[in-house]
Amino acid sequence: MPAARRARTRLACGLAATAVAAVLALAPLASVEGPLRRALAWLAAAGLLLAAGAALRLASLLAPALLVLLAEYTVVLVRQGDRVHAAAPLVGAGLLLYAELASWAREARPRVRDERPVLAARATVVAASTLAALALGVLVLLAAAVPAGGGLARLAVGVVAATATLVLVAVVARPTSTRVR
Amino acid sequence: MTRRPSARIAAYVGVAALALLAGLALGRPELAAVAAPLAVLVVAGLAGVRDPELAAEVTVDRERALVDDQVTLELTLRSADPVERLEVLVVVPPGMAGPDGAAGGWAVAVRLAAGEERTLAVPLTCRRWGAYRLGQVHLRAHDRFRLFTWERQLDGQAVLKVFPVPDALRALVRPFETQVSTGSHVAAQRGDGIEFADLRPFLPGDRPRSINWRATARRGDLMVNQRHPERATEVVLFLDSFLDVRGPTGSTLDRAVGAAASLAAAYLRQRDRVGLVSFGGFVQWLQPGGGQAALYRLLDTLMETQVFATAAWKGIRHLPSRTLPAKALIVALTPLVDERGVAALFDLLARGYDLAVVDISPLTHAGRATGEWDELARRLWALERETLRHRYQRLGAAVVEWRDAMHLQQVLLEVEACRRRAGLAPG
Repeated sequence: MPAARRARTRLACGLAATAVAAVLALAPLASVEGPLRRALAWLAAAGLLLAAGAALRLASLLAPALLVLLAEYTVVLVRQGDRVHAAAPLVGAGLLLYAELASWAREARPRVRDERPVLAARATVVAASTLAALALGVLVLLAAAVPAGGGLARLAVGVVAATATLVLVAVVARPTSTRVR
Repeated sequence: MTRRPSARIAAYVGVAALALLAGLALGRPELAAVAAPLAVLVVAGLAGVRDPELAAEVTVDRERALVDDQVTLELTLRSADPVERLEVLVVVPPGMAGPDGAAGGWAVAVRLAAGEERTLAVPLTCRRWGAYRLGQVHLRAHDRFRLFTWERQLDGQAVLKVFPVPDALRALVRPFETQVSTGSHVAAQRGDGIEFADLRPFLPGDRPRSINWRATARRGDLMVNQRHPERATEVVLFLDSFLDVRGPTGSTLDRAVGAAASLAAAYLRQRDRVGLVSFGGFVQWLQPGGGQAALYRLLDTLMETQVFATAAWKGIRHLPSRTLPAKALIVALTPLVDERGVAALFDLLARGYDLAVVDISPLTHAGRATGEWDELARRLWALERETLRHRYQRLGAAVVEWRDAMHLQQVLLEVEACRRRAGLAPG
């Protein structure tokens, strides 16, 4: 595979990630109006810039980009009121798809020639992860809609989940590299 | 192998934690639905992660090659566990080119199934002579979700020696004196041989077949033919490696090494004994020897020639006396740039050695003059070099400047003509 084509792979992944981020950033604008819309437009622009930067140039911008996109969605959710936002699984899957495509773009170095099975396996993993994320999001929403347990039980599940995630944060905050064998 | 977690783990977990906390605080299950995929992907990645047991081996299809030859480096990879993506970076040393002319390194990403063995053949083109150590390979393995990388470096020990393509030389510089062993040079002495030298009266013990009957009939006394015997010589190639003037078209050291290899092969072909003195920051020598073994020894030593920067003064007194035999012809290949090399040649002349100097012109490699001052400096340098050559010639050495466009054969013919004019060449 010539170097130019390898660079195209990188560019294609970066642009696809940016396109997904654009959808995630611009879609919430349609559901609000007035001054909030203008404020959200600024947030969306910042998110899109960060997302494009993370996908095309600096991998370290990935977390800020995800946070800004999440913040924009949270504002829309709060604004919406008590009604459950059925598109949440799509947003979750979209965020994951964006992050995976952005990291694929950073991974596809022009000097490294990826063999076809490697590309196929990566595409399969990204697609499967996105579909699984969609399904998981739907399951979470359905679980939240189940009337059993009452508010306290749901709160307990939420606290356990958040605590588990924080434990996960502590686990991954170990020293950055380890020597194996 | 060294394992490194990806920055994505922290990003995913951090965003998921914030989303879950926000969901709890705001009472919005949608935020949990958004956070769950990120957290679950990390958990799945952490649960399934296993350090790959990678084995790698590097071999090269041969140990010796010529410049512009292609050698194949074979990298065999084995893994006990599946590796979703294995980046393989083969370091291509300077002086060699990878596939598609890649310099510096060649990289590929492959996928290995559990227990699979893959052999990657990497063709490398030898661009420059020298001794290379091949097989430095960097490996980077990724897991399925690209959450971890494992890195490992192989320091290959495959040695490849790349020899310059020898020039076809039909005429060589003939030494003034020959040795006692039989060879292919017509000696100045008289004895058994083919070339007619002179007539002399018959003496008891002369072989009847030496009698020149025509001269005997003319003079009335028995006259015998005297002949020049064919003798071998000893040639020492004196390589000045103090400095290398490098330009876009090549370098003085490249030309010197190429010429030394060609001369060694040509002299050894005609049964002479050839020695080598690589005189520079790092001094190497080989005593004169003959035959194919001597050629390989000499080429191996030549391939290790490199410029080793040092300010220490070095003279020929640092060399063992047997490396410079008394009657040997010394062919010096020098750019006449470093004063230690220049002084060593004067020293050799002062000791009465038969010296021929091939002055490898650094002017062509030094680049074009870009201004008036550059031009002036260049002219002064050229004049200085010419003066130096005249000084050598006055002391009895044949000196010829080897400019870029000239073939080595042309230079040798000029050296021979110069020696003939100075009365140094036999015949």
